[in-house]
Amino acid sequence: MTSTATPAWLLDSEVGLCPCGCIGTRKKANLVDKTIAGSASLLRRAMFADDTSAQPGLLQRVDPRIKVLSLVGLLVVTSLVHHIPVLLAMYLATLPLAVASRLSLRFFVKRVWLFIPIFTGVIVLPAMFSFITHGHIVVPLGHWFGHRVGLTSQGLRSAGLIVIRVATSISLVVLLTLTTPWVELLAALRALRVPRMFVLVTGMAYRYLFHLLDSVTDMYTARKSRMVGRETDVVAGRAFVGASAGAMFGKAHALSEEVYSAMIARGYNGNARTMNRFRLGVQDLVWVTACLAAAVVVLGWDHAIGR
Amino acid sequence: MQSVADPILVVDGVSYSYLDKFPALVDVSLTVRRGEKVALLGANGCGKSTLLKVLDGLVFPDAGSYHAFGTAVTEQHLEDQQFSEGFRSRVGFVFQNSDAQVFSSNVRDEIAFGPLNMAMPLDQVKRRVDDTLEMLDIADIADRAPYQLSGGQKKRVAIASVLVMNPEVLIFDEPTAALDPRTQHWLMELIVELNRAGKTIVLATHDLATLETLADRCAVFSEDHRIIADGTPEDILADRRLLLSVNLIHDDDPMHEHPHMLIP
Ligand SMILES: Nc1ncnc2c1ncn2[C@@H]1O[C@H](COP(=O)(O)OP(=O)(O)OP(=O)(O)O)[C@@H](O)[C@H]1O
Ligand SMILES: [Mg+2]
Repeated sequence: MTSTATPAWLLDSEVGLCPCGCIGTRKKANLVDKTIAGSASLLRRAMFADDTSAQPGLLQRVDPRIKVLSLVGLLVVTSLVHHIPVLLAMYLATLPLAVASRLSLRFFVKRVWLFIPIFTGVIVLPAMFSFITHGHIVVPLGHWFGHRVGLTSQGLRSAGLIVIRVATSISLVVLLTLTTPWVELLAALRALRVPRMFVLVTGMAYRYLFHLLDSVTDMYTARKSRMVGRETDVVAGRAFVGASAGAMFGKAHALSEEVYSAMIARGYNGNARTMNRFRLGVQDLVWVTACLAAAVVVLGWDHAIGR
Repeated sequence: MQSVADPILVVDGVSYSYLDKFPALVDVSLTVRRGEKVALLGANGCGKSTLLKVLDGLVFPDAGSYHAFGTAVTEQHLEDQQFSEGFRSRVGFVFQNSDAQVFSSNVRDEIAFGPLNMAMPLDQVKRRVDDTLEMLDIADIADRAPYQLSGGQKKRVAIASVLVMNPEVLIFDEPTAALDPRTQHWLMELIVELNRAGKTIVLATHDLATLETLADRCAVFSEDHRIIADGTPEDILADRRLLLSVNLIHDDDPMHEHPHMLIP
């Protein structure tokens, strides 16, 4: 029978490699470091709001079904508004709501604006230029190929409109997701007769994402702990990201499959159930009335300004 | 009361391969009787976890059959709501990896998950959850999120989430792995106690030292995914040739001469 011998060096203690203390030289964490660790934890906090949804805040008191419906309504209103000041007012109105729901204002704002470039960058950037949106040039950028090029006022306006509309919509969605525990959100969707399959798949996707983020952080930490000294090699850093991406998806997939079996084993069949039975109360009525009033005011105002 | 010899889980000639190319079970037969403690013994990768998943109706054999409580457990039958609820509430599974099993946003919700799926009345769910928290001594962490728990605490939560449904059959995949000695001891006592209370226990392990406490029968897997022996822990532990052949003990390792240590 063969057995692999333990290498001798492993049996000796290492001489002087790491006197575990500070010797005074420091280095700055590099950009890849910061982005990976930073975006994983931010995304994580941005999407998994189990701590904030348990706070005794304003929106936490509203019935999840009502919240989902009013969100959809307000999103429709947002898409119908055509004037920046009106949208700006709507956006600003989400801020006190966030505060009343015990969300950290800084984090709320940060998390909303984090998503904006992802959603709007591609559309908004070109739209500002005169060769896409023709009109009155306000910021001239010289002459290219014999044409005057610059940012047009019309371009800036439509870009601003898109950005503020997206910001408002995301704020609304974030308000909903941060103040509703995930299970209750799923249960609310079920109660609103969203097909079981859809809710099931959404639930699984959420799980998957969760484990994906976990494995990003894990693998990153695991690699970091194996690195001695400073990593100067940017190419190696990138290669790691490339190579680990595949393994990561596999790992996250395996774990989410395991979680899924664990749910099935305890009788899960897509009917999300929670301990809190949904019951409508006065606060729900107040909330609905407020939303309707807001919608009327916003649409009326937008209409009054005209096109 | 039913007789002790009453077979409740019957696996007959089952084979299973992952993705049709990685064999995990080859022609495996096993009968579990009511009130028994059965251990599946074998080296890493021999198929213990897979067989447990078959027993819990999570994986369905490519060949052979599996009956539980007299009914065939198939994917089709489990689509039937009544059968599925009955089966799921009668057989509980504690996973090897607690991370996979603890998925709710806090411990209380986690434990309530099973009973709620069984459509148990709400006040009864709440009462049971409280009792279970108490019993497993985790009431103080009831409102914490799973990722704020230690490995041992997660294990307790995982066990609580299964016990709360009060299943007749409890399946444990490597219950004592990755636990500190004190928690290990606690869990072993719990398993024995549950068995005394009439629960049937099936568990996978490769820990020979705990075998006599945790099992009154054990089935030994060979590395080619077959069950090659089935007997009392005493008989199995005394059979050094067998244990050597399935790589559960090592030729020149005096520490693994368990038979002599355990049976004076
Ligand atoms: N998801 C999977 N995909 C492909 N092959 C798998 C998968 N899960 C297990 N296997 C293979 O099936 C075989 C049996 O695996 P199983 O997990 O049942 O072993 P085990 O006896 O529980 O091992 P361990 O003691 O390490 O937990 C192994 O050879 C393994 O490589
Ligand atoms: Mg296993």
